[in-house]
Amino acid sequence: MSAATTLLEQVLNGLTIGMVYVLLAAGLSIIFGVMDVINFAHGEFFALGAYVGLSVALATGSGGFWVALLVAPLLVGLVGAGVERFTIRPLYGRNPLYHILLTFGLVLIFKDVITLIWGQQPYQFAKPPLLSGTVTLFGFDYALYSYFVIGIGALIALGTWLALTRTRYGLVIRAGSMDRDMVRYLGIDIDRYYTIVFAFGAMLAAVGGVVLAGRQNVAPGMGNAVIIPAFIVVVLGGLGSFRGAVVGGLLIGVIQTFVRSQFPFLEGLAVFLLMIAVLLLRPQGLFGNPEWGTGGEGGDLLTAGDADVFDSALKRRIGVGLVGVLAVTPLLIGLPSYYVNTLVVNILIWALFALSLDFVMGYAGLVSLGHVLFYGVGAYATVLAVMHLVPSLFVALAVGIAVSAVIAWVVGYLSIRVSGVYFSMITLAFAELFFSAVFKLEWAGSSDGLFGFDPVYGLFAGPSVGSIELVGGVSVFYYVVLAAVVGSYLLARQVMRAPFGSVLQAIRESELRTGFIGYDVTVYKRRAFVVSGGLAGLAGGLAAVQTGGVSPEFLAWIRSGEVIVMTILGGMGTLYGPMLGAGVYLVSKELLLGITEQWQGVLGLIFVLFVIFVPRGLVSLPGLLAGRFDRSPGGGTDVLAEEETEVTD
Amino acid sequence: MVMSGTPPSKRRDRSIAPTRRRLLKAVGTSATLGAAGVAGCLGTIGGDAENTVTYATLNPMSGTYNSLGPTQRKGAELAAKHINESDEFGFELKLVKGDTETDPTAAQQAARRLVNKDGAQFLFGAISSSVALALNEFAQDEEIIYNPGGAAVPITGEACNEWVFRAETNTAQVAEAVSEYTVKNLGNRVWFHISDYAYGESVLKRVRSRMEAADANLEVVGVSRSQLGASNYDSFISGIGGSDAQVAVLGMTGSDLINFVGQAASQGLKDRVNLMSPTMTFAVVRGALGKAAVGTYGGVRYVPQLETGDNRAFVEAYREEYDGEDPDNFARVGYESLRMTARGIEAAESNEPAAVKDQLPGMEMDTIFGRNQFRACDHQAMNPTWMGELVEGSGETAGVKLLSKVEGKDALPPCEQLGCSLG
Repeated sequence: MSAATTLLEQVLNGLTIGMVYVLLAAGLSIIFGVMDVINFAHGEFFALGAYVGLSVALATGSGGFWVALLVAPLLVGLVGAGVERFTIRPLYGRNPLYHILLTFGLVLIFKDVITLIWGQQPYQFAKPPLLSGTVTLFGFDYALYSYFVIGIGALIALGTWLALTRTRYGLVIRAGSMDRDMVRYLGIDIDRYYTIVFAFGAMLAAVGGVVLAGRQNVAPGMGNAVIIPAFIVVVLGGLGSFRGAVVGGLLIGVIQTFVRSQFPFLEGLAVFLLMIAVLLLRPQGLFGNPEWGTGGEGGDLLTAGDADVFDSALKRRIGVGLVGVLAVTPLLIGLPSYYVNTLVVNILIWALFALSLDFVMGYAGLVSLGHVLFYGVGAYATVLAVMHLVPSLFVALAVGIAVSAVIAWVVGYLSIRVSGVYFSMITLAFAELFFSAVFKLEWAGSSDGLFGFDPVYGLFAGPSVGSIELVGGVSVFYYVVLAAVVGSYLLARQVMRAPFGSVLQAIRESELRTGFIGYDVTVYKRRAFVVSGGLAGLAGGLAAVQTGGVSPEFLAWIRSGEVIVMTILGGMGTLYGPMLGAGVYLVSKELLLGITEQWQGVLGLIFVLFVIFVPRGLVSLPGLLAGRFDRSPGGGTDVLAEEETEVTD
Repeated sequence: MVMSGTPPSKRRDRSIAPTRRRLLKAVGTSATLGAAGVAGCLGTIGGDAENTVTYATLNPMSGTYNSLGPTQRKGAELAAKHINESDEFGFELKLVKGDTETDPTAAQQAARRLVNKDGAQFLFGAISSSVALALNEFAQDEEIIYNPGGAAVPITGEACNEWVFRAETNTAQVAEAVSEYTVKNLGNRVWFHISDYAYGESVLKRVRSRMEAADANLEVVGVSRSQLGASNYDSFISGIGGSDAQVAVLGMTGSDLINFVGQAASQGLKDRVNLMSPTMTFAVVRGALGKAAVGTYGGVRYVPQLETGDNRAFVEAYREEYDGEDPDNFARVGYESLRMTARGIEAAESNEPAAVKDQLPGMEMDTIFGRNQFRACDHQAMNPTWMGELVEGSGETAGVKLLSKVEGKDALPPCEQLGCSLG
């Protein structure tokens, strides 16, 4: 095979997968452009398309593929319309963060529904005989199905482009993605278009799902596998830009293919490096317009700080009481030590992780989607320190904190210059970069991870962690974790009470005004990020000791999602809210595990309801309930209603 | 039969959680749930402890390997049923279940719950190597017996310990079956394509060295690596198709392998190059690939049509229990892990893991593969392995034609070579 045909073949390979990305990213991008919704559930629409297509094809027999190609997108479009109508609509006007959270909950629900209906085993879609085999064009053989994918993708992209530029609907939608309010002022009910846009996006994803199902197996994880590349495409092309999605999709497809064959070491890393570079140099993407939309500034983050009904003296008493109970009771009652040494320790570790996220998200308004990076780095650094440096638990944890803080400084230095949604995306890219890299690192244990390390309490020797137990089998490590978490909480509280904390909260309320007063906003944010990274690193280190080792799962992005869920569930913007959220989340999981295998879906459902109805989290519940029961004129305030009327700058 | 309730012995304990035995003492005192805010109920621990064995099956029911976990669990459930029905075993086996979520931290927590709260003394499960390695450590800390369901060599190699007994066939045993046959019969110009993680690297290392030993003229035409979980293999397929390789050895499993072979078939690579993967004959892979798998080659850990040991009886019982479904390798591992260990419990006349772990190594017994044992020096079952070709099956799924067999004693490399020396 000559160099030219090899090149041509690789380009075609890239275009094939690129077209699927186009189908996914186009919907994602239009939805964001018009509605400001970052739809994490888009990958699940894609998976749902493939599954529904599979069932339709099986039911209709020969020629079923073509029926599936028509019917599946329509059905998925209906599902999309329902999702928009009943879950996303109540959230308009809020910060895009809430859409991320909501759709994250939807991902969990969809995933469990899919396994419930179709089971866990992978399927292979029977391609129509017409599209099987290879075809010779210009004297060279290539898979017919790939040509089909490229063709149908191009056709749909063209159709979408025509619809956007040549129809009245398209006109309104394009106008809406540039300036929603202006469209509204012109007397057009843009909200009506939202359902159409969302359903259309879901349909495009479903077409992608059916088409790709002819090339790869249909499995429950397929949505998860495409959503990150789809986001990269959208960011690269420019959030909200259809042209960007098309060019970005094809570009990513071709770049991935070339990196694979030319620079195999960079495989899996290149796209994230590219995403980071684009976000740093041209945050609006290749075709995005910085004037467009309100990305990141639309609507406020609903913190629970002011929804807090308890006075500080009561809170202090509750806090001290709780720590007292946690410290003493395990010794007195003969619980199976699983509850104390495992479940409570786990809750405390996650509480610390959630606290660290809240430090930047709830106080400085920095929504980090890649916070798992610091947790994972802390875990790896702690384990490696014990294995290669010194066996001391405390030294190793300190190493973990230090390394995480340094990484946080670097990531913060690069990321904090962009804001809003772009910040979320760049932190996600950094986390994914490390996640992919760790598989390639022999010294970090690759996919097997590092197990069998034995930290001790002394500096160079001494009793090994876990060897000392107290009355009732309670491990001393439990108290180490308790002390670490309480200490971190007190530290965070002290920092927030200091002028530093006030500046952070000022930044969250209005970055511009804080800057005008004379504070260097970037420096303050970066310092907060470093503290937060260090705390997350401590949480990761403790988790690694508890697990007995570390593996790439410590860096999986799903953990970032989980910790955000906990933070919102509890109520961000208070230090104890997220910790409470961690406790409630993990206890719910523990209870659900015994009842149903679909525990993730149930948790997802609870979470979706929370995002819609209790956005300020558990902490706000007493106030919210009080407001409900005390609605007489001049009575208690309704936190939600108050929020909706708030005017942003 | 009399079970001797050995008194708790004093030994070194490195665990974070207290050992099961100390727990048994503690539980007697109180069973109230208190201020930790944890609801739920206490499992019955001990109970008729003299005559009951609590076995935990901890399988990947969610996460990456969730398509493989269910049959692993079915095998264990069938074994529990047979052990309880059979006169051969003088004890009741109580099965408790958990989900690894294909995540070491979650698996560790689930294992603690099963051991500490439900009173399990024996543990089976996990497929991914990181989870199995985490449970290896856990078993040693807790001093319970663990049967890993993972195939990575280090589990009974460099990371082995005296509490771990593996009925699953490891990667080295499969490599033994496929390497020599492939290089001698399918071609000696070989391309290695692997998923870029520990399993892929171990296939590359082992199969290549075994091929070199079998045929001095081996020519490695190319080596390529794809990211774990990649879904698009066109560029590699083009690369292999453009070379003069006769065989492509694929060091990948699950979805990766399914996608690679599916795309290779549609690009016509299968007609030009022999595709061979140590896991090609897995039921999940064949089920997903359908006709596209026909004409490829693979290592065989287990297929239902084997005429070894009491496989016929096992297959029939499994079909009867699960609506005519055939058992796959994971089901066999689930079944055999429990049964082999149960034979050890019976022979040791004790449900104490410490007594069973001294009894099991090197103990000859009847299995699905005929006479077998956990080898004394690394506790790896000496399973035979086969080379297979995928042929037209009865339905949509390709069948497996066995081409050659490597006996158990020949398939398993010496312990020193695998990095373990016990007993």
